[in-house]
Amino acid sequence: MLDFSILIDHKKEFLAGFLTTLEVSLLALVLSVILGIVLAVMKISPLKMLKGLATAYIEFIQNTPLLIQIFFFYFGLPAVGIQLNPFISGTIGLAVYSSAYIAEAIRAGIQAVSHGQVEAGRASGLTYLQTMQHIILPQAIKVVIPPLGNQFLNLVMGSAILGSISGKDLMYYGDIIASDTFVVFDVYIFVALFYLILTVPLSLFIHHLERKLSASD
Amino acid sequence: MIQFSKINKHYGSNHVLKDVDLNIREGEVVVIIGPSGSGKSTLLRCINRLESITSGELNVHGKKVNDKHTNINQLRQEIGMVFQHFNLYPHKSVLDNITLAPIKVRGMSKAQADELAMYYLEKVGIKEKAHVYPSNLSGGQQQRVAIARGLAMKPKIMLFDEPTSALDPEMVGEVLDVMKALTKEGMTMVVVTHEMGFAREVADRVIFMDQGQIVEEGAPAHFFTNPSEDRARLFLSRILVH
Repeated sequence: MLDFSILIDHKKEFLAGFLTTLEVSLLALVLSVILGIVLAVMKISPLKMLKGLATAYIEFIQNTPLLIQIFFFYFGLPAVGIQLNPFISGTIGLAVYSSAYIAEAIRAGIQAVSHGQVEAGRASGLTYLQTMQHIILPQAIKVVIPPLGNQFLNLVMGSAILGSISGKDLMYYGDIIASDTFVVFDVYIFVALFYLILTVPLSLFIHHLERKLSASD
Repeated sequence: MIQFSKINKHYGSNHVLKDVDLNIREGEVVVIIGPSGSGKSTLLRCINRLESITSGELNVHGKKVNDKHTNINQLRQEIGMVFQHFNLYPHKSVLDNITLAPIKVRGMSKAQADELAMYYLEKVGIKEKAHVYPSNLSGGQQQRVAIARGLAMKPKIMLFDEPTSALDPEMVGEVLDVMKALTKEGMTMVVVTHEMGFAREVADRVIFMDQGQIVEEGAPAHFFTNPSEDRARLFLSRILVH
Protein backbone atom coordinates (compact mmCIF):
# COMPACT_ATOMS: atom_id res chain seq x y z
CA MET A 1 0.00 0.00 0.00
CA LEU A 2 1.25 3.45 -0.87
CA ASP A 3 2.39 5.65 1.98
CA PHE A 4 0.04 8.62 1.66
CA SER A 5 1.54 10.36 4.69
CA ILE A 6 4.50 11.27 2.45
CA LEU A 7 2.11 13.02 0.14
CA ILE A 8 0.53 14.95 3.01
CA ASP A 9 3.81 15.80 4.74
CA HIS A 10 5.32 17.13 1.53
CA LYS A 11 2.21 18.54 -0.06
CA LYS A 12 3.84 21.96 -0.37
CA GLU A 13 6.77 20.63 -2.39
CA PHE A 14 4.60 18.40 -4.55
CA LEU A 15 2.27 21.30 -5.27
CA ALA A 16 5.10 23.75 -6.00
CA GLY A 17 6.72 21.22 -8.31
CA PHE A 18 3.43 20.51 -10.01
CA LEU A 19 2.80 24.21 -10.65
CA THR A 20 6.30 24.73 -12.03
CA THR A 21 5.92 21.77 -14.36
CA LEU A 22 2.57 23.14 -15.50
CA GLU A 23 3.98 26.63 -16.09
CA VAL A 24 7.08 25.43 -17.92
CA SER A 25 5.00 23.10 -20.08
CA LEU A 26 2.48 25.78 -21.02
CA LEU A 27 5.10 28.40 -21.77
CA ALA A 28 7.29 26.02 -23.75
CA LEU A 29 4.23 24.79 -25.60
CA VAL A 30 3.20 28.27 -26.75
CA LEU A 31 6.77 29.20 -27.66
CA SER A 32 7.40 25.97 -29.54
CA VAL A 33 4.21 26.32 -31.58
CA ILE A 34 5.13 29.86 -32.62
CA LEU A 35 8.68 28.82 -33.41
CA GLY A 36 7.42 25.65 -35.14
CA ILE A 37 5.09 27.60 -37.45
CA VAL A 38 7.88 30.01 -38.41
CA LEU A 39 10.27 27.12 -39.10
CA ALA A 40 7.69 25.17 -41.09
CA VAL A 41 6.91 28.18 -43.29
CA MET A 42 10.65 28.76 -43.75
CA LYS A 43 11.23 25.14 -44.65
CA ILE A 44 8.73 25.17 -47.51
CA SER A 45 9.61 28.70 -48.60
CA PRO A 46 10.83 29.13 -52.16
CA LEU A 47 13.86 31.05 -50.80
CA LYS A 48 16.78 28.63 -50.57
CA MET A 49 18.41 30.61 -47.76
CA LEU A 50 15.41 30.34 -45.41
CA LYS A 51 14.86 26.73 -46.35
CA GLY A 52 18.49 25.87 -45.62
CA LEU A 53 18.46 27.61 -42.26
CA ALA A 54 15.29 25.84 -41.16
CA THR A 55 16.55 22.47 -42.34
CA ALA A 56 19.86 22.89 -40.51
CA TYR A 57 18.10 23.91 -37.31
CA ILE A 58 15.60 21.06 -37.43
CA GLU A 59 18.23 18.42 -38.24
CA PHE A 60 20.57 19.66 -35.52
CA ILE A 61 17.87 19.69 -32.86
CA GLN A 62 16.33 16.36 -33.83
CA ASN A 63 19.69 14.62 -33.82
CA THR A 64 21.10 15.80 -30.49
CA PRO A 65 19.86 14.86 -27.00
CA LEU A 66 17.44 17.15 -25.19
CA LEU A 67 19.67 16.97 -22.12
CA ILE A 68 22.58 18.54 -24.00
CA GLN A 69 20.36 21.30 -25.34
CA ILE A 70 19.11 22.15 -21.86
CA PHE A 71 22.67 22.06 -20.47
CA PHE A 72 23.73 24.38 -23.28
CA PHE A 73 21.21 27.02 -22.20
CA TYR A 74 21.87 26.58 -18.47
CA PHE A 75 25.59 25.82 -18.22
CA GLY A 76 26.81 26.87 -21.66
CA LEU A 77 25.44 30.37 -22.12
CA PRO A 78 27.02 31.84 -18.92
CA ALA A 79 30.39 31.30 -20.69
CA VAL A 80 29.39 34.00 -23.15
CA GLY A 81 27.96 36.19 -20.41
CA ILE A 82 24.31 35.18 -20.63
CA GLN A 83 23.04 34.06 -17.23
CA LEU A 84 19.63 32.32 -17.29
CA ASN A 85 17.88 30.81 -14.29
CA PRO A 86 16.84 27.12 -14.44
CA PHE A 87 13.22 27.99 -15.14
CA ILE A 88 14.06 30.15 -18.16
CA SER A 89 16.78 27.89 -19.56
CA GLY A 90 14.51 24.87 -19.11
CA THR A 91 11.59 26.56 -20.84
CA ILE A 92 13.72 27.77 -23.75
CA GLY A 93 15.48 24.44 -24.06
CA LEU A 94 12.19 22.54 -24.17
CA ALA A 95 10.66 25.01 -26.62
CA VAL A 96 13.65 24.81 -28.93
CA TYR A 97 13.65 21.01 -28.79
CA SER A 98 9.89 20.65 -29.38
CA SER A 99 9.79 23.31 -32.08
CA ALA A 100 11.83 21.13 -34.44
CA TYR A 101 9.32 18.27 -34.18
CA ILE A 102 6.35 20.61 -34.30
CA ALA A 103 7.79 22.29 -37.40
CA GLU A 104 8.00 18.92 -39.15
CA ALA A 105 4.41 18.07 -38.18
CA ILE A 106 3.16 21.43 -39.43
CA ARG A 107 5.20 21.18 -42.62
CA ALA A 108 3.62 17.80 -43.37
CA GLY A 109 0.19 19.34 -42.72
CA ILE A 110 0.87 22.28 -45.01
CA GLN A 111 2.06 19.98 -47.77
CA ALA A 112 -1.08 17.89 -47.40
CA VAL A 113 -3.14 20.90 -48.54
CA SER A 114 -3.61 20.81 -52.31
CA HIS A 115 -1.21 22.98 -54.27
CA GLY A 116 -4.17 24.46 -56.12
CA GLN A 117 -5.05 26.33 -52.93
CA VAL A 118 -1.74 28.16 -52.95
CA GLU A 119 -2.17 28.95 -56.63
CA ALA A 120 -5.68 30.30 -56.13
CA GLY A 121 -4.47 32.54 -53.31
CA ARG A 122 -1.37 33.80 -55.07
CA ALA A 123 -3.24 34.31 -58.36
CA SER A 124 -5.66 36.65 -56.58
CA GLY A 125 -2.78 38.89 -55.52
CA LEU A 126 -2.31 37.68 -51.94
CA THR A 127 1.29 37.56 -50.77
CA TYR A 128 2.94 34.30 -49.77
CA LEU A 129 2.44 35.03 -46.09
CA GLN A 130 -1.19 36.09 -46.53
CA THR A 131 -1.84 32.89 -48.46
CA MET A 132 -0.31 30.89 -45.63
CA GLN A 133 -2.23 32.72 -42.94
CA HIS A 134 -5.69 32.82 -44.50
CA ILE A 135 -5.76 29.78 -46.76
CA ILE A 136 -3.17 27.13 -46.03
CA LEU A 137 -2.64 27.08 -42.26
CA PRO A 138 -6.37 26.96 -41.38
CA GLN A 139 -6.66 23.85 -43.58
CA ALA A 140 -3.41 22.30 -42.41
CA ILE A 141 -4.57 22.42 -38.77
CA LYS A 142 -6.82 19.38 -39.23
CA VAL A 143 -3.97 17.22 -40.44
CA VAL A 144 -1.60 18.59 -37.85
CA ILE A 145 -3.68 18.12 -34.69
CA PRO A 146 -2.91 14.42 -34.03
CA PRO A 147 0.90 14.61 -34.40
CA LEU A 148 0.90 17.96 -32.63
CA GLY A 149 -0.97 16.40 -29.72
CA ASN A 150 1.71 13.75 -29.39
CA GLN A 151 4.37 16.45 -29.35
CA PHE A 152 2.51 18.30 -26.59
CA LEU A 153 2.44 15.12 -24.49
CA ASN A 154 6.13 14.55 -25.13
CA LEU A 155 6.84 18.10 -24.09
CA VAL A 156 5.03 17.76 -20.76
CA MET A 157 6.86 14.54 -19.98
CA GLY A 158 10.14 15.91 -21.29
CA SER A 159 9.87 18.79 -18.84
CA ALA A 160 11.04 16.31 -16.16
CA ILE A 161 14.49 17.10 -17.44
CA LEU A 162 14.31 20.36 -15.47
CA GLY A 163 15.03 18.19 -12.42
CA SER A 164 18.59 17.86 -13.68
CA ILE A 165 19.22 21.63 -13.59
CA SER A 166 17.49 22.27 -10.24
CA GLY A 167 14.41 23.52 -12.05
CA LYS A 168 12.15 23.19 -8.98
CA ASP A 169 9.69 21.13 -11.02
CA LEU A 170 7.91 17.90 -10.07
CA MET A 171 10.92 15.74 -10.83
CA TYR A 172 13.25 17.96 -8.84
CA TYR A 173 11.09 17.85 -5.71
CA GLY A 174 10.46 14.15 -6.25
CA ASP A 175 14.21 13.50 -6.16
CA ILE A 176 14.62 15.60 -3.01
CA ILE A 177 11.72 14.00 -1.16
CA ALA A 178 12.86 10.54 -2.17
CA SER A 179 16.39 11.08 -0.90
CA ASP A 180 15.14 12.74 2.31
CA THR A 181 12.65 10.01 3.20
CA PHE A 182 14.12 6.94 1.45
CA VAL A 183 10.53 6.04 0.43
CA VAL A 184 11.70 5.97 -3.14
CA PHE A 185 9.06 3.70 -4.65
CA ASP A 186 6.04 5.59 -3.30
CA VAL A 187 7.44 9.02 -4.04
CA TYR A 188 8.05 8.32 -7.72
CA ILE A 189 4.60 6.76 -8.03
CA PHE A 190 3.13 9.99 -6.67
CA VAL A 191 5.27 12.03 -9.04
CA ALA A 192 4.05 9.91 -11.94
CA LEU A 193 0.43 10.43 -10.83
CA PHE A 194 0.96 14.19 -10.88
CA TYR A 195 2.22 13.94 -14.46
CA LEU A 196 -0.91 11.95 -15.30
CA ILE A 197 -3.04 14.82 -13.97
CA LEU A 198 -1.51 16.89 -16.76
CA THR A 199 -1.28 14.37 -19.57
CA VAL A 200 -4.60 12.55 -19.32
CA PRO A 201 -6.81 15.65 -19.72
CA LEU A 202 -4.49 16.93 -22.47
CA SER A 203 -4.78 13.64 -24.29
CA LEU A 204 -8.59 13.63 -23.91
CA PHE A 205 -8.77 17.20 -25.16
CA ILE A 206 -6.76 16.33 -28.27
CA HIS A 207 -9.03 13.38 -29.06
CA HIS A 208 -12.03 15.63 -28.62
CA LEU A 209 -10.52 18.20 -30.99
CA GLU A 210 -9.72 15.53 -33.57
CA ARG A 211 -13.30 14.31 -33.52
CA LYS A 212 -14.68 17.82 -33.78
CA LEU A 213 -12.44 18.76 -36.69
CA SER A 214 -13.10 15.62 -38.65
CA ALA A 215 -16.85 16.09 -38.16
CA SER A 216 -16.67 19.46 -39.90
CA ASP A 217 -15.48 17.91 -43.18
CA MET B 1 -2.31 43.93 -73.41
CA ILE B 2 -0.48 40.60 -73.30
CA GLN B 3 2.62 40.14 -75.42
CA PHE B 4 4.66 36.97 -75.68
CA SER B 5 7.86 37.31 -77.64
CA LYS B 6 10.12 34.34 -78.23
CA ILE B 7 8.95 32.61 -75.07
CA ASN B 8 10.65 29.35 -74.19
CA LYS B 9 9.93 27.15 -71.22
CA HIS B 10 11.77 24.04 -70.13
CA TYR B 11 10.88 21.55 -67.41
CA GLY B 12 14.24 19.89 -67.04
CA SER B 13 14.94 18.35 -70.42
CA ASN B 14 11.34 18.78 -71.49
CA HIS B 15 10.90 21.73 -73.88
CA VAL B 16 7.29 22.78 -73.19
CA LEU B 17 7.04 26.12 -74.98
CA LYS B 18 9.05 26.75 -78.12
CA ASP B 19 9.62 30.31 -79.32
CA VAL B 20 6.05 31.39 -78.74
CA ASP B 21 5.01 34.76 -80.12
CA LEU B 22 1.55 36.00 -79.32
CA ASN B 23 -0.19 39.34 -78.90
CA ILE B 24 -3.52 39.66 -77.19
CA ARG B 25 -5.34 42.97 -77.46
CA GLU B 26 -7.52 44.61 -74.87
CA GLY B 27 -11.06 43.28 -74.97
CA GLU B 28 -10.10 40.32 -77.08
CA VAL B 29 -11.40 36.81 -76.38
CA VAL B 30 -8.74 34.27 -77.25
CA VAL B 31 -9.41 30.55 -77.04
CA ILE B 32 -6.45 28.20 -76.94
CA ILE B 33 -7.04 24.62 -78.04
CA GLY B 34 -4.84 21.66 -78.75
CA PRO B 35 -4.08 18.11 -77.64
CA SER B 36 -3.10 17.46 -74.03
CA GLY B 37 0.57 18.09 -73.38
CA SER B 38 0.69 20.71 -76.12
CA GLY B 39 1.65 23.44 -73.64
CA LYS B 40 -1.59 25.39 -73.70
CA SER B 41 -2.13 25.44 -69.94
CA THR B 42 1.53 26.28 -69.38
CA LEU B 43 1.23 29.19 -71.79
CA LEU B 44 -1.80 30.49 -69.90
CA ARG B 45 -0.13 30.08 -66.51
CA CYS B 46 2.89 32.10 -67.62
CA ILE B 47 0.67 35.17 -67.93
CA ASN B 48 0.31 35.53 -64.14
CA ARG B 49 3.63 33.83 -63.42
CA LEU B 50 2.24 30.66 -61.92
CA GLU B 51 4.88 29.28 -64.28
CA SER B 52 8.16 31.02 -64.90
CA ILE B 53 9.61 31.25 -68.38
CA THR B 54 13.08 30.10 -69.33
CA SER B 55 13.75 32.73 -71.99
CA GLY B 56 12.01 35.42 -74.01
CA GLU B 57 10.01 38.40 -72.91
CA LEU B 58 6.46 38.47 -71.62
CA ASN B 59 4.67 41.77 -71.08
CA VAL B 60 1.32 42.17 -69.43
CA HIS B 61 -0.07 45.68 -69.15
CA GLY B 62 3.29 46.98 -70.29
CA LYS B 63 5.02 45.31 -67.34
CA LYS B 64 7.62 42.61 -67.73
CA VAL B 65 6.14 39.62 -65.91
CA ASN B 66 9.46 37.98 -65.17
CA ASP B 67 11.39 41.09 -64.19
CA LYS B 68 12.67 41.17 -60.63
CA HIS B 69 11.44 44.75 -60.24
CA THR B 70 7.89 43.92 -61.22
CA ASN B 71 5.61 43.69 -58.22
CA ILE B 72 3.97 40.41 -59.13
CA ASN B 73 1.28 40.68 -56.46
CA GLN B 74 0.20 44.01 -57.89
CA LEU B 75 0.13 42.63 -61.41
CA ARG B 76 -1.87 39.60 -60.32
CA GLN B 77 -4.59 41.84 -58.88
CA GLU B 78 -5.41 42.78 -62.46
CA ILE B 79 -5.53 39.18 -63.69
CA GLY B 80 -8.36 36.94 -62.53
CA MET B 81 -7.93 33.20 -62.85
CA VAL B 82 -10.35 30.29 -62.98
CA PHE B 83 -8.93 26.79 -62.54
CA GLN B 84 -9.98 23.40 -63.82
CA HIS B 85 -10.56 22.14 -60.28
CA PHE B 86 -12.17 25.38 -59.05
CA ASN B 87 -9.76 25.66 -56.10
CA LEU B 88 -12.32 27.25 -53.83
CA TYR B 89 -11.21 27.55 -50.21
CA PRO B 90 -13.06 24.67 -48.49
CA HIS B 91 -12.84 26.22 -45.01
CA LYS B 92 -14.54 29.44 -46.07
CA SER B 93 -18.14 30.16 -47.03
CA VAL B 94 -18.92 31.19 -50.61
CA LEU B 95 -19.11 34.82 -49.52
CA ASP B 96 -15.77 34.67 -47.70
CA ASN B 97 -14.15 32.95 -50.68
CA ILE B 98 -15.05 35.97 -52.76
CA THR B 99 -14.28 38.71 -50.25
CA LEU B 100 -10.87 37.46 -49.07
CA ALA B 101 -8.76 39.12 -51.76
CA PRO B 102 -10.80 42.34 -52.01
CA ILE B 103 -10.39 42.79 -48.25
CA LYS B 104 -6.76 41.69 -47.87
CA VAL B 105 -5.36 42.91 -51.17
CA ARG B 106 -7.55 45.88 -52.09
CA GLY B 107 -8.07 46.93 -48.49
CA MET B 108 -11.84 47.04 -48.74
CA SER B 109 -14.04 47.05 -45.66
CA LYS B 110 -15.96 43.86 -44.91
CA ALA B 111 -19.28 45.57 -45.67
CA GLN B 112 -18.10 46.91 -49.02
CA ALA B 113 -16.62 43.58 -49.99
CA ASP B 114 -19.80 41.71 -49.00
CA GLU B 115 -21.85 44.01 -51.17
CA LEU B 116 -19.47 43.50 -54.07
CA ALA B 117 -19.53 39.72 -53.59
CA MET B 118 -23.33 39.69 -53.60
CA TYR B 119 -23.35 41.69 -56.81
CA TYR B 120 -21.14 39.14 -58.58
CA LEU B 121 -22.95 36.17 -57.05
CA GLU B 122 -26.16 37.53 -58.50
CA LYS B 123 -24.41 37.92 -61.80
CA VAL B 124 -23.38 34.26 -61.89
CA GLY B 125 -26.85 33.29 -60.67
CA ILE B 126 -26.24 31.84 -57.20
CA LYS B 127 -26.88 34.64 -54.77
CA GLU B 128 -28.85 32.29 -52.53
CA LYS B 129 -25.72 30.19 -51.88
CA ALA B 130 -23.68 33.02 -50.33
CA HIS B 131 -23.51 31.47 -46.87
CA VAL B 132 -23.00 27.87 -47.94
CA TYR B 133 -19.64 26.07 -47.91
CA PRO B 134 -18.14 24.93 -51.24
CA SER B 135 -18.51 21.23 -50.39
CA ASN B 136 -22.29 21.70 -50.45
CA LEU B 137 -22.29 23.00 -54.02
CA SER B 138 -22.36 21.12 -57.31
CA GLY B 139 -19.31 21.38 -59.57
CA GLY B 140 -21.04 23.86 -61.84
CA GLN B 141 -22.01 26.04 -58.89
CA GLN B 142 -18.48 25.88 -57.51
CA GLN B 143 -17.02 26.99 -60.81
CA ARG B 144 -19.49 29.88 -61.01
CA VAL B 145 -18.41 30.96 -57.53
CA ALA B 146 -14.80 30.75 -58.71
CA ILE B 147 -15.64 33.04 -61.61
CA ALA B 148 -17.36 35.49 -59.25
CA ARG B 149 -14.28 35.33 -57.02
CA GLY B 150 -12.06 36.26 -59.95
CA LEU B 151 -14.36 39.06 -61.09
CA ALA B 152 -14.65 40.60 -57.62
CA MET B 153 -11.08 41.87 -57.94
CA LYS B 154 -12.27 43.81 -61.00
CA PRO B 155 -9.42 42.47 -63.12
CA LYS B 156 -8.53 43.70 -66.59
CA ILE B 157 -7.87 40.16 -67.79
CA MET B 158 -9.54 36.84 -66.98
CA LEU B 159 -7.71 33.57 -67.50
CA PHE B 160 -9.64 30.29 -67.73
CA ASP B 161 -7.68 27.05 -67.47
CA GLU B 162 -9.98 24.28 -68.75
CA PRO B 163 -12.88 25.62 -66.66
CA THR B 164 -15.34 22.91 -67.68
CA SER B 165 -13.09 19.85 -67.91
CA ALA B 166 -13.80 18.65 -64.38
CA LEU B 167 -17.56 19.12 -64.63
CA ASP B 168 -20.33 16.62 -65.17
CA PRO B 169 -21.66 17.11 -68.71
CA GLU B 170 -24.97 18.59 -67.60
CA MET B 171 -23.19 21.36 -65.72
CA VAL B 172 -20.96 22.54 -68.52
CA GLY B 173 -23.68 24.72 -70.00
CA GLU B 174 -24.27 26.88 -66.92
CA VAL B 175 -20.57 27.73 -66.67
CA LEU B 176 -20.20 28.46 -70.37
CA ASP B 177 -23.27 30.72 -70.18
CA VAL B 178 -21.62 32.82 -67.49
CA MET B 179 -18.45 33.03 -69.58
CA LYS B 180 -20.36 33.98 -72.69
CA ALA B 181 -22.08 36.79 -70.82
CA LEU B 182 -18.68 38.02 -69.74
CA THR B 183 -17.39 38.24 -73.31
CA LYS B 184 -20.21 40.63 -74.11
CA GLU B 185 -18.95 43.05 -71.47
CA GLY B 186 -15.65 43.55 -73.20
CA MET B 187 -13.51 41.59 -70.74
CA THR B 188 -10.13 40.48 -72.07
CA MET B 189 -10.28 36.70 -71.83
CA VAL B 190 -7.82 33.92 -72.47
CA VAL B 191 -9.49 30.53 -72.34
CA VAL B 192 -7.91 27.10 -72.55
CA THR B 193 -10.71 24.68 -73.34
CA HIS B 194 -11.91 21.66 -75.24
CA GLU B 195 -15.33 23.21 -75.79
CA MET B 196 -15.28 23.77 -79.53
CA GLY B 197 -18.83 25.12 -79.57
CA PHE B 198 -17.82 27.84 -77.16
CA ALA B 199 -14.71 28.68 -79.19
CA ARG B 200 -16.71 28.89 -82.39
CA GLU B 201 -19.40 31.06 -80.85
CA VAL B 202 -17.52 33.65 -78.80
CA ALA B 203 -13.82 33.62 -79.64
CA ASP B 204 -12.35 36.53 -81.52
CA ARG B 205 -9.38 34.34 -82.26
CA VAL B 206 -8.61 30.66 -81.91
CA ILE B 207 -5.06 29.52 -81.22
CA PHE B 208 -4.15 25.95 -81.97
CA MET B 209 -1.11 24.60 -80.16
CA ASP B 210 0.80 21.38 -80.61
CA GLN B 211 4.10 20.28 -79.06
CA GLY B 212 4.80 23.65 -77.47
CA GLN B 213 4.22 25.70 -80.59
CA ILE B 214 1.42 27.80 -81.96
CA VAL B 215 0.63 25.88 -85.11
CA GLU B 216 -2.26 27.92 -86.38
CA GLU B 217 -4.31 30.91 -85.33
CA GLY B 218 -7.23 32.72 -86.82
CA ALA B 219 -10.84 33.71 -86.57
CA PRO B 220 -13.04 30.77 -85.57
CA ALA B 221 -15.06 30.87 -88.78
CA HIS B 222 -11.92 30.28 -90.76
CA PHE B 223 -10.21 27.94 -88.30
CA PHE B 224 -13.08 25.51 -87.87
CA THR B 225 -14.14 25.33 -91.51
CA ASN B 226 -10.89 25.56 -93.34
CA PRO B 227 -7.74 25.16 -91.26
CA SER B 228 -4.56 25.50 -93.28
CA GLU B 229 -2.35 23.23 -91.21
CA ASP B 230 -2.55 19.44 -91.39
CA ARG B 231 -2.06 19.03 -87.68
CA ALA B 232 -4.97 21.34 -86.94
CA ARG B 233 -7.13 19.52 -89.48
CA LEU B 234 -6.28 16.17 -87.92
CA PHE B 235 -7.03 17.44 -84.42
CA LEU B 236 -10.37 18.87 -85.49
CA SER B 237 -11.37 15.72 -87.36
CA ARG B 238 -10.68 13.68 -84.24
CA ILE B 239 -12.69 15.80 -81.85
CA LEU B 240 -15.49 16.92 -84.11
CA VAL B 241 -16.59 13.48 -85.25
CA HIS B 242 -18.07 12.49 -81.92
